[in-house]
Amino acid sequence: MPPLPDPKGVFLNIPYDEEFSSLYVAYIVGLCQLGMAPHLSSEIPGGGRRLDRIFELIQNCRYSIHDLSRVELSVAPTAVPRFNMPLELGMTIAWQRLHPGRHDWFVWESEPYRIQRSASDLNGSDAYIHNGTPEGVLRELSNAFWRDPMPSVPQMLTVYRLVESALNSIFVRNGTRNPYDRSVFRELCRLSSSLTTLFS
Amino acid sequence: MRKRIHLTTPWPTPEEWAKLYPISKESEKALRALVEEFKATHSNREDETVNSAEPEKRRKRASAA
Repeated sequence: MPPLPDPKGVFLNIPYDEEFSSLYVAYIVGLCQLGMAPHLSSEIPGGGRRLDRIFELIQNCRYSIHDLSRVELSVAPTAVPRFNMPLELGMTIAWQRLHPGRHDWFVWESEPYRIQRSASDLNGSDAYIHNGTPEGVLRELSNAFWRDPMPSVPQMLTVYRLVESALNSIFVRNGTRNPYDRSVFRELCRLSSSLTTLFS
Repeated sequence: MRKRIHLTTPWPTPEEWAKLYPISKESEKALRALVEEFKATHSNREDETVNSAEPEKRRKRASAA
């Protein structure tokens, strides 16, 4: 039996593409503003089978968010649908079924009712609909989690804008333009967590 | 699953955040400067709002200080 999960740990199962980066920053800001610790598969150091490392991360987190909003094909000539997110959701569901009480998972989507067509086996598991906007992500995080006291959605949105305005300098410092890069992710988390006291 | 989770875990301390997300000393310094800048800007804006819209609150603040 693996050790108990981090009670504030949240595994983020999201698409790693450029168009998603503003929502990705919103997830990080919102979770940190709620005192939770987001985790990404890109955080895990190399070596070993990737799937094993992802499964370990799921086991170590008390919660997971599975964003299934990227169901469309990319525009590349060799476009294929993305199966990573549903695959990792499946792994999570199996883990939660085997060990109830150790993990809770949530499905996020950008469009209402689409999940019933893209993954009809999830019927009965209502998705959180973020409408493809950072504000929507923050709103739905506030719907999924609460604590007393907690920042309001407009307050979180202010922090989101501040963090996003710092993204370029974080890129420069880390010599990358990839927001999902491990060092960028860590800095985004540190910056977001440092701003939790902005409204207190 | 759609349920609202009540979080009761204590807020992570700065040391815990640092342990969770280790970054270089240089980055730490740069982020600290950014945070101070944001906080100063935010408090200035708040003061502007208070000054223009809530003179009573402003007087109370000034006397408390």
